[in-house]
Amino acid sequence: MATLKIENLHVEVEGKPILKGVNLSISEGETVALLGPNGHGKSTLLNVIMGHPRYKITEGKIFLDDVDLTNMTTDERARAGLFLALQNPPEVPGVINSDFLRAAVNAKIDEHLSTYKFYKLLDGAVKEVKMPFDLATRALNEGFSGGEKKRNEILQLIMLQPKIAMLDEIDSGLDVDAIQIVADVIKNEKAKGHGFLVISHYARLFDLIQPTRAIVMINGRIVLDGGVELIKRIDKNGYEFIKTELGIEIAKEETNMNTVSIGSCAVREVTKK
Amino acid sequence: MDVINLKDKKDISLLGIDKSVSFVISENDNASIFIDGLSDDNELNFDVKDGAYLHISFLADKPVKNLKILANVGQNAEIMIHFADFSTDENTANVVINLNKENARATWHLASLASEKDNKHISVSVFHNSPLTFARVDNYGVAKEESKLVFSGTSHILNGSIKSKTEQNAKIMVFDPKSDAVAKPILKIDENDIEASHAAAVGKINDEHLFYLTSRGLSVEDARLLITLGYLKPIFKGFDDDKVERINALIGGRL
Repeated sequence: MATLKIENLHVEVEGKPILKGVNLSISEGETVALLGPNGHGKSTLLNVIMGHPRYKITEGKIFLDDVDLTNMTTDERARAGLFLALQNPPEVPGVINSDFLRAAVNAKIDEHLSTYKFYKLLDGAVKEVKMPFDLATRALNEGFSGGEKKRNEILQLIMLQPKIAMLDEIDSGLDVDAIQIVADVIKNEKAKGHGFLVISHYARLFDLIQPTRAIVMINGRIVLDGGVELIKRIDKNGYEFIKTELGIEIAKEETNMNTVSIGSCAVREVTKK
Repeated sequence: MDVINLKDKKDISLLGIDKSVSFVISENDNASIFIDGLSDDNELNFDVKDGAYLHISFLADKPVKNLKILANVGQNAEIMIHFADFSTDENTANVVINLNKENARATWHLASLASEKDNKHISVSVFHNSPLTFARVDNYGVAKEESKLVFSGTSHILNGSIKSKTEQNAKIMVFDPKSDAVAKPILKIDENDIEASHAAAVGKINDEHLFYLTSRGLSVEDARLLITLGYLKPIFKGFDDDKVERINALIGGRL
Protein backbone atom coordinates (compact mmCIF):
# COMPACT_ATOMS: atom_id res chain seq x y z
CA MET A 1 0.00 0.00 0.00
CA ALA A 2 1.40 3.40 -1.06
CA THR A 3 2.08 5.92 1.66
CA LEU A 4 2.88 9.60 1.26
CA LYS A 5 5.05 10.72 4.13
CA ILE A 6 6.13 14.29 4.90
CA GLU A 7 8.88 14.74 7.46
CA ASN A 8 9.67 18.05 9.14
CA LEU A 9 9.07 20.04 5.95
CA HIS A 10 10.27 23.63 5.94
CA VAL A 11 9.57 25.73 2.87
CA GLU A 12 10.15 29.31 1.86
CA VAL A 13 9.19 31.55 -1.02
CA GLU A 14 11.55 34.35 -1.96
CA GLY A 15 13.21 34.06 1.42
CA LYS A 16 9.95 34.12 3.37
CA PRO A 17 9.22 30.98 5.45
CA ILE A 18 5.78 29.52 4.70
CA LEU A 19 5.88 25.96 6.02
CA LYS A 20 7.64 25.56 9.35
CA GLY A 21 7.99 21.90 10.09
CA VAL A 22 5.12 19.89 8.60
CA ASN A 23 4.78 16.20 9.48
CA LEU A 24 2.11 14.16 7.77
CA SER A 25 1.39 10.66 6.57
CA ILE A 26 -1.34 9.57 4.14
CA SER A 27 -1.84 6.02 2.97
CA GLU A 28 -3.72 4.73 -0.04
CA GLY A 29 -7.35 4.31 0.92
CA GLU A 30 -7.27 7.23 3.34
CA THR A 31 -9.08 10.49 2.68
CA VAL A 32 -7.65 13.35 4.69
CA ALA A 33 -9.39 16.72 5.00
CA LEU A 34 -6.90 19.59 5.19
CA LEU A 35 -8.39 22.60 6.95
CA GLY A 36 -7.10 25.99 8.00
CA PRO A 37 -7.61 29.70 7.56
CA ASN A 38 -6.55 31.38 4.31
CA GLY A 39 -2.88 32.14 3.96
CA HIS A 40 -1.58 29.56 6.43
CA GLY A 41 0.16 27.24 3.96
CA LYS A 42 -2.41 24.66 2.79
CA SER A 43 -2.06 25.29 -0.95
CA THR A 44 1.69 25.76 -0.51
CA LEU A 45 1.93 22.31 1.04
CA LEU A 46 0.13 20.70 -1.91
CA ASN A 47 2.23 22.58 -4.46
CA VAL A 48 5.46 21.68 -2.66
CA ILE A 49 4.51 18.01 -2.55
CA MET A 50 3.91 18.21 -6.33
CA GLY A 51 7.31 19.89 -6.84
CA HIS A 52 6.34 23.44 -7.86
CA PRO A 53 9.63 25.20 -8.66
CA ARG A 54 8.52 28.45 -7.01
CA TYR A 55 8.91 26.94 -3.54
CA LYS A 56 12.23 26.18 -1.90
CA ILE A 57 12.50 23.31 0.55
CA THR A 58 14.99 24.38 3.20
CA GLU A 59 14.61 21.32 5.43
CA GLY A 60 12.72 18.04 5.53
CA LYS A 61 11.81 15.20 3.20
CA ILE A 62 8.89 13.92 1.11
CA PHE A 63 8.53 10.18 0.55
CA LEU A 64 6.14 8.06 -1.51
CA ASP A 65 6.43 4.33 -0.87
CA ASP A 66 9.69 5.02 0.94
CA VAL A 67 11.10 6.57 -2.25
CA ASP A 68 12.52 10.01 -1.54
CA LEU A 69 10.72 12.50 -3.81
CA THR A 70 12.31 15.60 -2.31
CA ASN A 71 14.72 16.19 -5.18
CA MET A 72 12.56 14.72 -7.93
CA THR A 73 11.14 16.86 -10.71
CA THR A 74 7.40 17.51 -10.96
CA ASP A 75 6.89 15.07 -13.83
CA GLU A 76 8.79 12.33 -11.98
CA ARG A 77 6.52 12.81 -8.95
CA ALA A 78 3.45 12.62 -11.20
CA ARG A 79 4.68 9.42 -12.80
CA ALA A 80 5.42 8.05 -9.32
CA GLY A 81 1.71 8.38 -8.53
CA LEU A 82 0.95 11.88 -7.25
CA PHE A 83 -1.71 14.18 -8.65
CA LEU A 84 -2.68 17.76 -7.83
CA ALA A 85 -6.00 19.26 -8.92
CA LEU A 86 -5.29 22.97 -8.96
CA GLN A 87 -7.41 25.63 -7.33
CA ASN A 88 -7.13 27.77 -10.48
CA PRO A 89 -6.22 25.56 -13.44
CA PRO A 90 -4.50 27.72 -16.07
CA GLU A 91 -5.78 28.23 -19.60
CA VAL A 92 -3.18 26.95 -22.04
CA PRO A 93 -3.90 28.42 -25.49
CA GLY A 94 -3.56 26.16 -28.50
CA VAL A 95 -2.91 22.94 -26.54
CA ILE A 96 -5.84 20.67 -27.32
CA ASN A 97 -7.26 19.06 -24.20
CA SER A 98 -7.35 15.55 -25.66
CA ASP A 99 -3.78 15.85 -27.05
CA PHE A 100 -2.64 16.83 -23.58
CA LEU A 101 -4.57 14.00 -21.92
CA ARG A 102 -3.18 11.47 -24.35
CA ALA A 103 0.38 12.67 -23.75
CA ALA A 104 -0.22 12.54 -19.99
CA VAL A 105 -1.68 9.02 -20.05
CA ASN A 106 1.10 7.76 -22.31
CA ALA A 107 3.76 9.35 -20.09
CA LYS A 108 2.78 6.92 -17.32
CA ILE A 109 2.86 3.71 -19.33
CA ASP A 110 5.54 1.92 -21.34
CA GLU A 111 3.34 0.89 -24.23
CA HIS A 112 1.32 3.78 -25.63
CA LEU A 113 -2.45 3.42 -25.89
CA SER A 114 -3.94 2.93 -29.32
CA THR A 115 -6.24 5.68 -30.59
CA TYR A 116 -9.25 3.43 -29.98
CA LYS A 117 -8.28 2.54 -26.42
CA PHE A 118 -7.54 6.16 -25.61
CA TYR A 119 -10.88 7.26 -27.05
CA LYS A 120 -12.71 4.63 -24.95
CA LEU A 121 -10.89 5.78 -21.83
CA LEU A 122 -11.62 9.43 -22.55
CA ASP A 123 -15.24 8.76 -23.44
CA GLY A 124 -15.77 6.86 -20.18
CA ALA A 125 -14.17 9.60 -18.09
CA VAL A 126 -16.12 12.35 -19.87
CA LYS A 127 -19.35 10.51 -19.12
CA GLU A 128 -18.38 9.99 -15.49
CA VAL A 129 -17.87 13.72 -14.91
CA LYS A 130 -20.88 14.54 -17.11
CA MET A 131 -18.82 16.93 -19.21
CA PRO A 132 -19.74 17.79 -22.83
CA PHE A 133 -17.36 15.81 -25.06
CA ASP A 134 -16.50 18.92 -27.08
CA LEU A 135 -14.61 20.31 -24.06
CA ALA A 136 -12.12 17.49 -24.54
CA THR A 137 -11.46 18.65 -28.08
CA ARG A 138 -11.00 22.34 -27.26
CA ALA A 139 -7.87 24.17 -26.10
CA LEU A 140 -6.94 23.19 -22.55
CA ASN A 141 -9.21 25.11 -20.15
CA GLU A 142 -9.42 28.01 -22.60
CA GLY A 143 -12.80 29.68 -22.33
CA PHE A 144 -13.97 27.04 -19.82
CA SER A 145 -16.20 28.24 -17.00
CA GLY A 146 -14.89 27.82 -13.45
CA GLY A 147 -16.99 24.67 -13.02
CA GLU A 148 -15.84 23.21 -16.34
CA LYS A 149 -12.21 23.72 -15.34
CA LYS A 150 -12.80 21.81 -12.10
CA ARG A 151 -14.55 18.98 -13.93
CA ASN A 152 -11.62 18.86 -16.31
CA GLU A 153 -9.29 18.41 -13.34
CA ILE A 154 -11.40 15.49 -12.13
CA LEU A 155 -11.45 14.07 -15.67
CA GLN A 156 -7.64 14.03 -15.57
CA LEU A 157 -7.72 12.36 -12.17
CA ILE A 158 -9.90 9.55 -13.53
CA MET A 159 -7.67 9.05 -16.55
CA LEU A 160 -4.35 9.14 -14.70
CA GLN A 161 -5.35 6.97 -11.71
CA PRO A 162 -2.85 8.39 -9.19
CA LYS A 163 -2.01 6.60 -5.96
CA ILE A 164 -2.46 9.79 -3.95
CA ALA A 165 -4.55 12.69 -5.26
CA MET A 166 -4.43 16.18 -3.79
CA LEU A 167 -7.44 18.39 -4.43
CA ASP A 168 -7.11 22.12 -3.79
CA GLU A 169 -10.58 23.63 -3.29
CA ILE A 170 -12.02 21.43 -6.01
CA ASP A 171 -15.53 22.49 -4.90
CA SER A 172 -15.07 26.24 -5.36
CA GLY A 173 -17.08 27.48 -8.31
CA LEU A 174 -19.16 24.32 -8.51
CA ASP A 175 -22.92 24.24 -8.25
CA VAL A 176 -24.71 21.67 -6.09
CA ASP A 177 -25.09 19.12 -8.89
CA ALA A 178 -21.46 19.44 -9.93
CA ILE A 179 -20.25 18.97 -6.33
CA GLN A 180 -22.27 15.75 -6.21
CA ILE A 181 -20.64 14.55 -9.44
CA VAL A 182 -17.14 15.34 -8.13
CA ALA A 183 -17.95 13.66 -4.81
CA ASP A 184 -19.18 10.53 -6.62
CA VAL A 185 -15.92 10.32 -8.57
CA ILE A 186 -13.88 10.71 -5.38
CA LYS A 187 -15.90 7.95 -3.71
CA ASN A 188 -15.36 5.68 -6.72
CA GLU A 189 -11.62 6.31 -6.65
CA LYS A 190 -11.52 5.83 -2.86
CA ALA A 191 -13.14 2.45 -3.36
CA LYS A 192 -10.23 1.51 -5.62
CA GLY A 193 -7.91 2.22 -2.70
CA HIS A 194 -6.55 5.59 -3.83
CA GLY A 195 -5.60 8.13 -1.18
CA PHE A 196 -6.81 11.74 -1.05
CA LEU A 197 -5.64 14.95 0.58
CA VAL A 198 -8.46 17.46 0.18
CA ILE A 199 -8.58 21.19 0.90
CA SER A 200 -12.01 22.75 1.20
CA HIS A 201 -13.59 25.55 3.17
CA TYR A 202 -17.01 23.94 3.06
CA ALA A 203 -18.37 21.04 5.07
CA ARG A 204 -20.70 20.07 2.24
CA LEU A 205 -17.99 18.38 0.17
CA PHE A 206 -16.64 16.59 3.23
CA ASP A 207 -20.15 15.40 4.12
CA LEU A 208 -20.34 13.79 0.69
CA ILE A 209 -16.88 12.22 0.51
CA GLN A 210 -16.61 11.23 4.19
CA PRO A 211 -12.93 11.73 5.05
CA THR A 212 -11.19 9.28 7.35
CA ARG A 213 -9.21 12.03 9.12
CA ALA A 214 -9.06 15.80 9.43
CA ILE A 215 -5.96 17.91 9.96
CA VAL A 216 -5.68 21.63 10.66
CA MET A 217 -2.85 23.82 9.42
CA ILE A 218 -2.10 27.05 11.28
CA ASN A 219 0.93 29.31 10.80
CA GLY A 220 2.61 26.80 8.47
CA ARG A 221 2.32 23.84 10.84
CA ILE A 222 -0.19 21.05 11.34
CA VAL A 223 -1.55 21.76 14.80
CA LEU A 224 -4.38 19.23 14.96
CA ASP A 225 -4.72 15.74 13.53
CA GLY A 226 -7.95 14.03 14.46
CA GLY A 227 -11.31 12.64 13.50
CA VAL A 228 -13.93 14.06 11.20
CA GLU A 229 -15.69 15.73 14.13
CA LEU A 230 -13.10 18.50 13.69
CA ILE A 231 -14.75 19.44 10.39
CA LYS A 232 -18.15 19.91 12.01
CA ARG A 233 -16.65 21.90 14.85
CA ILE A 234 -14.76 24.26 12.55
CA ASP A 235 -17.73 24.60 10.23
CA LYS A 236 -19.86 25.65 13.21
CA ASN A 237 -17.45 27.71 15.30
CA GLY A 238 -14.48 28.66 13.12
CA TYR A 239 -10.85 28.47 14.28
CA GLU A 240 -11.09 30.54 17.47
CA PHE A 241 -10.90 27.45 19.69
CA ILE A 242 -7.35 26.81 18.43
CA LYS A 243 -6.31 29.97 20.24
CA THR A 244 -8.31 29.40 23.41
CA GLU A 245 -7.66 25.68 23.80
CA LEU A 246 -4.20 25.25 22.29
CA GLY A 247 -2.83 28.71 23.01
CA ILE A 248 -1.78 29.21 19.38
CA GLU A 249 -2.03 32.76 18.09
CA ILE A 250 -3.44 32.66 14.55
CA ALA A 251 -1.45 34.99 12.30
CA LYS A 252 -3.54 37.35 10.18
CA GLU A 253 -3.42 36.81 6.43
CA GLU A 254 -1.18 39.39 4.78
CA THR A 255 -2.77 41.41 2.03
CA ASN A 256 -0.28 42.83 -0.40
CA MET A 257 -0.86 45.81 -2.63
CA ASN A 258 -1.44 44.82 -6.23
CA THR A 259 1.59 45.30 -8.38
CA VAL A 260 0.81 47.92 -10.98
CA SER A 261 2.84 48.11 -14.11
CA ILE A 262 2.47 50.96 -16.50
CA GLY A 263 3.43 49.95 -19.98
CA SER A 264 2.69 51.42 -23.33
CA CYS A 265 -0.20 50.60 -25.53
CA ALA A 266 -1.08 47.09 -24.27
CA VAL A 267 2.44 45.87 -24.92
CA ARG A 268 3.62 43.28 -22.44
CA GLU A 269 7.20 42.21 -22.49
CA VAL A 270 8.49 39.41 -20.35
CA THR A 271 12.15 39.59 -19.57
CA LYS A 272 14.13 36.68 -20.91
CA LYS A 273 16.07 34.63 -18.43
CA MET B 1 5.07 40.07 -65.48
CA ASP B 2 2.83 36.98 -65.55
CA VAL B 3 -0.88 37.59 -64.92
CA ILE B 4 -2.86 34.65 -63.59
CA ASN B 5 -6.64 34.56 -63.29
CA LEU B 6 -7.42 32.57 -60.18
CA LYS B 7 -10.79 31.21 -61.30
CA ASP B 8 -10.73 27.41 -60.89
CA LYS B 9 -7.12 27.49 -59.67
CA LYS B 10 -6.16 25.46 -56.62
CA ASP B 11 -2.45 24.72 -56.15
CA ILE B 12 0.17 27.10 -57.55
CA SER B 13 3.90 26.60 -57.37
CA LEU B 14 5.95 29.70 -58.04
CA LEU B 15 8.96 27.66 -59.06
CA GLY B 16 9.89 28.21 -62.68
CA ILE B 17 7.67 31.25 -63.30
CA ASP B 18 8.40 34.98 -63.17
CA LYS B 19 9.61 36.48 -59.91
CA SER B 20 6.81 39.02 -60.26
CA VAL B 21 3.30 37.67 -60.69
CA SER B 22 -0.10 39.34 -60.68
CA PHE B 23 -3.14 37.34 -59.64
CA VAL B 24 -6.67 38.43 -60.40
CA ILE B 25 -9.94 37.19 -58.99
CA SER B 26 -12.83 38.53 -61.03
CA GLU B 27 -15.95 40.22 -59.69
CA ASN B 28 -18.12 37.96 -57.52
CA ASP B 29 -15.84 34.95 -58.05
CA ASN B 30 -14.56 32.72 -55.24
CA ALA B 31 -11.20 31.03 -55.09
CA SER B 32 -9.15 29.16 -52.51
CA ILE B 33 -5.56 28.58 -53.54
CA PHE B 34 -2.39 27.12 -52.08
CA ILE B 35 0.91 28.71 -53.02
CA ASP B 36 4.36 27.33 -52.40
CA GLY B 37 7.72 27.46 -54.13
CA LEU B 38 8.42 30.97 -52.82
CA SER B 39 11.98 32.18 -53.48
CA ASP B 40 14.09 35.34 -53.17
CA ASP B 41 12.69 38.58 -54.61
CA ASN B 42 9.20 37.23 -55.32
CA GLU B 43 6.78 40.08 -55.88
CA LEU B 44 3.15 38.98 -55.76
CA ASN B 45 0.20 41.24 -56.50
CA PHE B 46 -3.38 40.21 -55.81
CA ASP B 47 -6.31 42.08 -57.26
CA VAL B 48 -9.53 41.06 -55.54
CA LYS B 49 -12.34 42.59 -57.57
CA ASP B 50 -15.68 43.80 -56.17
CA GLY B 51 -17.72 41.08 -54.50
CA ALA B 52 -14.97 38.45 -54.86
CA TYR B 53 -13.63 36.16 -52.14
CA LEU B 54 -10.05 34.93 -52.14
CA HIS B 55 -8.43 32.57 -49.65
CA ILE B 56 -4.68 32.03 -50.00
CA SER B 57 -2.62 29.52 -48.05
CA PHE B 58 1.10 30.15 -48.32
CA LEU B 59 3.71 27.65 -47.29
CA ALA B 60 7.29 28.90 -47.11
CA ASP B 61 9.75 26.10 -46.46
CA LYS B 62 12.93 27.49 -48.03
CA PRO B 63 14.89 30.73 -47.63
CA VAL B 64 12.84 33.69 -48.86
CA LYS B 65 14.56 37.05 -49.03
CA ASN B 66 12.80 40.23 -49.96
CA LEU B 67 9.30 38.78 -50.48
CA LYS B 68 6.72 41.41 -51.38
CA ILE B 69 2.98 40.81 -51.30
CA LEU B 70 0.54 43.51 -52.32
CA ALA B 71 -3.23 43.01 -52.23
CA ASN B 72 -5.93 45.41 -53.44
CA VAL B 73 -9.41 44.56 -52.21
CA GLY B 74 -12.58 45.92 -53.83
CA GLN B 75 -16.10 46.66 -52.63
CA ASN B 76 -17.75 43.87 -50.62
CA ALA B 77 -14.72 41.74 -51.41
CA GLU B 78 -12.65 39.71 -48.98
CA ILE B 79 -9.15 38.34 -48.83
CA MET B 80 -8.10 35.78 -46.23
CA ILE B 81 -4.46 34.75 -46.01
CA HIS B 82 -2.87 31.98 -43.97
CA PHE B 83 0.91 32.11 -44.11
CA ALA B 84 2.87 29.17 -42.68
CA ASP B 85 6.43 30.38 -42.45
CA PHE B 86 8.85 27.55 -41.85
CA SER B 87 11.51 29.06 -44.07
CA THR B 88 15.09 29.17 -42.89
CA ASP B 89 18.06 31.56 -42.86
CA GLU B 90 17.69 35.29 -43.38
CA ASN B 91 14.19 36.21 -44.47
CA THR B 92 12.30 39.41 -45.02
CA ALA B 93 8.70 39.78 -46.08
CA ASN B 94 6.75 42.94 -46.64
CA VAL B 95 2.98 42.56 -46.93
CA VAL B 96 0.66 45.44 -47.81
CA ILE B 97 -3.11 45.10 -48.04
CA ASN B 98 -5.21 47.99 -49.37
CA LEU B 99 -8.88 47.95 -48.49
CA ASN B 100 -9.89 50.29 -51.26
CA LYS B 101 -13.67 50.29 -51.26
CA GLU B 102 -16.59 50.02 -48.84
CA ASN B 103 -17.01 46.74 -46.95
CA ALA B 104 -13.65 45.41 -48.12
CA ARG B 105 -12.33 42.83 -45.65
CA ALA B 106 -8.97 41.25 -44.93
CA THR B 107 -7.76 38.67 -42.43
CA TRP B 108 -4.14 37.63 -42.11
CA HIS B 109 -2.87 34.76 -39.96
CA LEU B 110 0.83 34.04 -39.71
CA ALA B 111 2.63 31.22 -37.93
CA SER B 112 6.39 31.63 -38.06
CA LEU B 113 9.13 29.45 -36.66
CA ALA B 114 12.68 30.77 -36.35
CA SER B 115 15.45 28.47 -35.19
CA GLU B 116 19.25 28.07 -35.22
CA LYS B 117 20.60 31.36 -36.62
CA ASP B 118 17.53 32.40 -38.66
CA ASN B 119 16.96 36.11 -38.89
CA LYS B 120 13.42 36.95 -39.94
CA HIS B 121 11.57 40.21 -40.28
CA ILE B 122 7.94 40.09 -41.34
CA SER B 123 5.99 43.29 -41.81
CA VAL B 124 2.22 43.27 -42.41
CA SER B 125 0.45 46.57 -43.07
CA VAL B 126 -3.20 47.25 -43.81
CA PHE B 127 -4.59 50.49 -45.19
CA HIS B 128 -8.26 51.24 -44.64
CA ASN B 129 -8.93 53.55 -47.56
CA SER B 130 -12.75 53.43 -47.46
CA PRO B 131 -15.60 53.34 -44.93
CA LEU B 132 -16.84 50.10 -43.29
CA THR B 133 -13.67 48.18 -43.99
CA PHE B 134 -12.44 45.42 -41.69
CA ALA B 135 -9.03 43.90 -41.05
CA ARG B 136 -7.59 41.48 -38.56
CA VAL B 137 -3.87 40.70 -38.45
CA ASP B 138 -2.68 37.80 -36.28
CA ASN B 139 1.04 37.11 -36.14
CA TYR B 140 2.21 34.17 -34.03
CA GLY B 141 5.81 33.12 -33.79
CA VAL B 142 8.33 30.98 -31.97
CA ALA B 143 11.99 31.98 -31.73
CA LYS B 144 14.41 29.19 -30.79
CA GLU B 145 18.14 28.84 -30.25
CA GLU B 146 20.06 31.86 -31.62
CA SER B 147 17.38 33.07 -34.00
CA LYS B 148 15.84 36.50 -34.31
CA LEU B 149 12.19 37.09 -35.20
CA VAL B 150 10.64 40.51 -35.76
CA PHE B 151 6.97 41.28 -36.45
CA SER B 152 6.10 44.79 -37.51
CA GLY B 153 3.58 46.63 -39.63
CA THR B 154 1.04 49.42 -39.50
CA SER B 155 -2.71 49.30 -39.55
CA HIS B 156 -3.76 52.67 -40.86
CA ILE B 157 -7.34 53.95 -40.91
CA LEU B 158 -7.37 56.93 -43.22
CA ASN B 159 -9.53 60.01 -42.87
CA GLY B 160 -13.08 59.33 -44.08
CA SER B 161 -12.95 55.57 -43.49
CA ILE B 162 -15.77 55.78 -40.96
CA LYS B 163 -17.03 52.70 -39.08
CA SER B 164 -13.97 50.75 -40.09
CA LYS B 165 -12.53 48.20 -37.70
CA THR B 166 -8.97 47.03 -37.41
CA GLU B 167 -7.33 44.51 -35.07
CA GLN B 168 -3.66 43.61 -34.64
CA ASN B 169 -2.33 40.79 -32.55
CA ALA B 170 1.34 39.81 -32.35
CA LYS B 171 2.72 37.13 -30.05
CA ILE B 172 6.17 35.59 -30.01
CA MET B 173 7.33 32.86 -27.70
CA VAL B 174 11.01 33.07 -26.92
CA PHE B 175 12.37 29.59 -26.35
CA ASP B 176 16.04 29.91 -25.48
CA PRO B 177 18.27 32.44 -23.70
CA LYS B 178 19.95 33.49 -26.95
CA SER B 179 16.72 33.81 -28.98
CA ASP B 180 15.65 37.35 -29.76
CA ALA B 181 12.20 38.60 -30.68
CA VAL B 182 10.50 41.91 -31.26
CA ALA B 183 6.81 42.60 -31.86
CA LYS B 184 5.95 46.17 -32.75
CA PRO B 185 2.53 46.61 -34.31
CA ILE B 186 1.56 50.23 -35.00
CA LEU B 187 -1.90 51.76 -35.27
CA LYS B 188 -2.39 55.00 -37.21
CA ILE B 189 -5.85 56.44 -36.91
CA ASP B 190 -7.00 59.51 -38.88
CA GLU B 191 -10.75 59.05 -38.33
CA ASN B 192 -12.88 59.22 -35.17
CA ASP B 193 -15.78 56.90 -35.82
CA ILE B 194 -13.85 53.62 -35.95
CA GLU B 195 -12.82 50.64 -33.80
CA ALA B 196 -9.18 49.68 -33.38
CA SER B 197 -7.25 47.40 -31.07
CA HIS B 198 -3.79 45.99 -30.90
CA ALA B 199 -1.80 43.79 -28.60
CA ALA B 200 1.69 42.43 -28.57
CA ALA B 201 3.39 39.97 -26.27
CA VAL B 202 6.90 38.63 -26.31
CA GLY B 203 7.88 36.20 -23.64
CA LYS B 204 9.11 32.81 -22.63
CA ILE B 205 6.87 29.82 -21.91
CA ASN B 206 4.63 30.55 -18.97
CA ASP B 207 6.07 28.78 -15.90
CA GLU B 208 2.60 27.98 -14.55
CA HIS B 209 1.65 26.30 -17.84
CA LEU B 210 4.84 24.26 -17.70
CA PHE B 211 4.16 23.23 -14.10
CA TYR B 212 0.59 22.27 -14.96
CA LEU B 213 1.60 20.02 -17.84
CA THR B 214 4.52 18.43 -16.00
CA SER B 215 2.29 17.82 -12.96
CA ARG B 216 0.44 15.34 -15.18
CA GLY B 217 3.60 13.40 -15.96
CA LEU B 218 4.83 15.08 -19.15
CA SER B 219 8.56 15.72 -19.23
CA VAL B 220 9.61 19.35 -19.49
CA GLU B 221 10.71 18.73 -23.09
CA ASP B 222 7.35 17.19 -24.05
CA ALA B 223 5.45 19.96 -22.27
CA ARG B 224 7.44 22.63 -24.11
CA LEU B 225 6.83 20.86 -27.40
CA LEU B 226 3.08 20.62 -26.77
CA ILE B 227 2.86 24.30 -25.81
CA THR B 228 4.90 25.34 -28.84
CA LEU B 229 2.77 23.25 -31.18
CA GLY B 230 -0.25 24.91 -29.61
CA TYR B 231 1.21 28.24 -30.67
CA LEU B 232 1.77 27.20 -34.27
CA LYS B 233 -1.04 24.73 -34.92
CA PRO B 234 -3.94 27.20 -35.28
CA ILE B 235 -2.51 27.92 -38.77
CA PHE B 236 -3.55 24.38 -39.77
CA LYS B 237 -7.17 25.38 -40.19
CA GLY B 238 -6.17 27.37 -43.29
CA PHE B 239 -4.75 24.31 -45.05
CA ASP B 240 -6.03 21.08 -46.59
CA ASP B 241 -5.13 17.83 -44.84
CA ASP B 242 -2.31 16.90 -47.25
CA LYS B 243 -0.66 20.29 -46.68
CA VAL B 244 -1.12 19.96 -42.92
CA GLU B 245 0.91 16.75 -43.10
CA ARG B 246 3.70 18.66 -44.85
CA ILE B 247 3.62 21.41 -42.23
CA ASN B 248 3.59 18.85 -39.41
CA ALA B 249 6.69 17.23 -40.87
CA LEU B 250 8.40 20.63 -41.13
CA ILE B 251 7.57 21.47 -37.51
CA GLY B 252 8.63 18.02 -36.32
CA GLY B 253 11.98 18.44 -38.02
CA ARG B 254 12.62 21.81 -36.45
CA LEU B 255 11.42 21.45 -32.84
